[in-house]
Amino acid sequence: MNLPGPETFAANARAALTDETLRGALRRATDTFAERRGAALAGVPDWEELREQARAVKAHTLARLDHYLEQFTRNAEAAGVHVHWAADAEQACRIVGALARQHGAKRLVKSKSMATEEIHLNAALARDGAEPVETDLGEWIIQLAGETPSHIIVPAIHKTREAIGALFVEKLGIPPSSAPAVLAAHARERLRRHFAEADLGVSGVNFGVAETGTILVLENEGNARMTTTLPRVHVAVMGIEKLVPRFADLEVFLRLLPRSGTGQHLTSYQSLFTGPDGGREGPRELHVVLLDNGRAAMLSDELLRPTLGCIRCGACLNACPVYREIGGHAYGSVYPGPIGAILTPQLSGMERAGTLPFASSLCGACKDVCPVKIDIPTILLELRQRAVEGTRESPAARGGTVERLAWRVWSLCVTGPRRYALAARLARLGERLPFLARLAPPLAAWSTTRERPRLAARPFRATFRRPS
Amino acid sequence: MKRRVALFVTCLADQLWPAVGHATVAVLERAGCTVEFDARQTCCAQPAFNSGYQEEAKRVARHFVEVFEGCEAIVAPSGSCTAMVHRFPQLFREEPAWAERAERVAARTHELASFLVRELGLGDLGARFPARLAWHDACHGLRELGLKREPRQLLAHVRGLELVEFAAAESCCGFGGTFSVKFPELSSAMLDSKLASLAEQRVTHLSSLDGSCLMQLAGRLARQGAPVKTVHLAEILAAR
Amino acid sequence: MSSARETILARIRAGLAGAGVPALPPVQSGAPLAVAELPARFQLLLERVGARLVRVADLREAAAELARLCAAGGVRALVASDAPELAPLLESLPAALVRHGPEAPREALFACDLGLSCAQWGIAETGTLVLESAEERHRLASLLPPHHVALLPRSRLLGTLGEALARVRPGAGAPPSRTITFITGPSRTADIELELVVGVHGPKHLTVFLLDSA
Repeated sequence: MNLPGPETFAANARAALTDETLRGALRRATDTFAERRGAALAGVPDWEELREQARAVKAHTLARLDHYLEQFTRNAEAAGVHVHWAADAEQACRIVGALARQHGAKRLVKSKSMATEEIHLNAALARDGAEPVETDLGEWIIQLAGETPSHIIVPAIHKTREAIGALFVEKLGIPPSSAPAVLAAHARERLRRHFAEADLGVSGVNFGVAETGTILVLENEGNARMTTTLPRVHVAVMGIEKLVPRFADLEVFLRLLPRSGTGQHLTSYQSLFTGPDGGREGPRELHVVLLDNGRAAMLSDELLRPTLGCIRCGACLNACPVYREIGGHAYGSVYPGPIGAILTPQLSGMERAGTLPFASSLCGACKDVCPVKIDIPTILLELRQRAVEGTRESPAARGGTVERLAWRVWSLCVTGPRRYALAARLARLGERLPFLARLAPPLAAWSTTRERPRLAARPFRATFRRPS
Repeated sequence: MKRRVALFVTCLADQLWPAVGHATVAVLERAGCTVEFDARQTCCAQPAFNSGYQEEAKRVARHFVEVFEGCEAIVAPSGSCTAMVHRFPQLFREEPAWAERAERVAARTHELASFLVRELGLGDLGARFPARLAWHDACHGLRELGLKREPRQLLAHVRGLELVEFAAAESCCGFGGTFSVKFPELSSAMLDSKLASLAEQRVTHLSSLDGSCLMQLAGRLARQGAPVKTVHLAEILAAR
Repeated sequence: MSSARETILARIRAGLAGAGVPALPPVQSGAPLAVAELPARFQLLLERVGARLVRVADLREAAAELARLCAAGGVRALVASDAPELAPLLESLPAALVRHGPEAPREALFACDLGLSCAQWGIAETGTLVLESAEERHRLASLLPPHHVALLPRSRLLGTLGEALARVRPGAGAPPSRTITFITGPSRTADIELELVVGVHGPKHLTVFLLDSA
């Protein structure tokens, strides 16, 4: 299925805006999340202190990431974990594929992990005949439908219950239903068979603790526990930025993430793994794949580095007035919404994703809700500059010579009083021209839905009669 | 001793809504200030800066700094322009000399409601504006300048004015500068979501401290033929 | 593998070269709760997340409650963790009720109606149970069956998340637990139109026996 990419954001957005079902679903979802988050915060008087603590912990960790990765590896290995390092997506997929082959694993199950989406793990394993079954309900729905997730926390938010019901009828042969409880019961029954037979389980990692070599996986459904308990091998894919220095640091993040993401005090389950269970009642082997895939390169710019502090809570998506209208697919990338607009260009490059930083009105709602205080608007502005002016790695991806010239002319006009006055006069003359809209495409774009503002007959400066 | 204030009228108000400029002057004078207008002023550089054209933005920002750096207080009837001036130090972070000059100017630049309430400690300006009015919390004013309470405090003293809150008051109107013309359908969708929430309140007027938002809102309301009039905070406060 | 490690570390070091390191702030913990408040707070939060609390004076009463629960729920088979404290509870169950331990064959475990375990700690501020694999093999009993019953001694109630993390921290004295599971209520999902469905892959029912005598 040909999926839209970030390069076609404008067209993707236009298409999404015509999908009334999608928009209704998004409106309901984002309103609900905002409400729940608000209610959850009401009971936390020190919320701002928590955010600052989390920001500071991440900032420190990222500034010493090499040290903490080495510490994590040492401690994890001491506990019996096999730690693998993957410089890029392909390498990560090869590692997981090799582990599957090594263990004769043909039946794989997987819990929700943005990192594994990012590296297209399922497709890579499918080529080996070992495509994992997604076990998170939303991810399983998406997998059955052959789609990609549209939200970080609720991947199938864009689908109505009727659509999901119809999908289950088609793919699973169930009697028709659109009741979520019934559909979830069918999912439980089907996926239990997969869990029971699975040879290898793949999970993501929400937090890795350098001090102890522990990995933490949080969830509500119990599918991650099943995935990481029943098979004989557990492979956890962790972005290198997911580390925290101390075991005790988990507290602040556990206070922030569930409330920010779903409005819960805590999700139903947190599993903390320090080494493999050794077959007592869990997997014999635990493998952690440390994933770089562009993250290390993001460390060098101190302005952009805070992007790596993201804990994937999804709060920015729920707060974003743009996301609310178009959903995740329009961004054409694994990470949508405000975080996607800053992360994707840095991971995938400006040539591909250079439009995304412009796909924002800079309202700042995301910055307000980010639990680790990422200043998304400032980073968006920084990336817009990179897009226009280019960097060593990628020459200017956007802003052709016409646009550049226009801004240059504009800057000259507004820095010289005579030029400014001339420009103002020309603008008034131009306003009377019937083909004005054709000469100035931005005005045409405006006028499709809005009445045009009119220039005042005389500007303020001509009518102000005080001496200065 | 009257406080001396330099008016930064903003390029949009200058060219599109001179009445807002005059209202701002009237309000500041009523608040006991002497208002000066330096005709060399033009723009705060926001359009170029938001579009990623930093060199062009810097050129315009330097002009702003040169025009206003002798002033004790600079007041603008715009949250976004004020927020932009506050970003000048970020803009000049690689030029320490300019950054320092910009920092000084930024520290003295205030949005109108902020200046009246926080700097002058005022509430009642003797205004009268009969209306059933909703307040739009313009994004930059709300989130970068922290202005939530201050405009409402001023409006509470306006005789005849019934202030009505609506659910989407803090939602972005969809303007975002060039965003509104780069992604016009998206901009309009955001606008319509906001106006749908407003429609439930049946107001006569919609106000804000940002003219660009009002331009976006007014443009759509007019196209819809809705009876809601847009009015800038300065115009309300200047009304008798 | 080592070359990828070297590559990544080199990239990181190159990226961080010359940059300052902001200080790591000291750990901040949530305000502690008064011990006397703990049972009531724990119950409040537990019930808020859809679990049930039963206060039992001692193991004898716990056994009676369990038997009642099994009878009411038509439980034909259960899986118990290997915690020795559970032995008296199991003894008083009807002989017809099949009991499995965590080492039983998977098919048997999947067919169990109820799972029984202890909990090493309870967190009052969130209504959370904390289970440590070094103390008991809890993973399957607390996950597979649709009903999980956990025996928690009252003395093991803690106020905050921070206190619990301090107690279970691998390496802090006691033998490290390879798996620590925090359980807050039954399993749930809202993946379909954000409508809450309780009981997905984990249990649908969670009952905590709060043991006063321990």
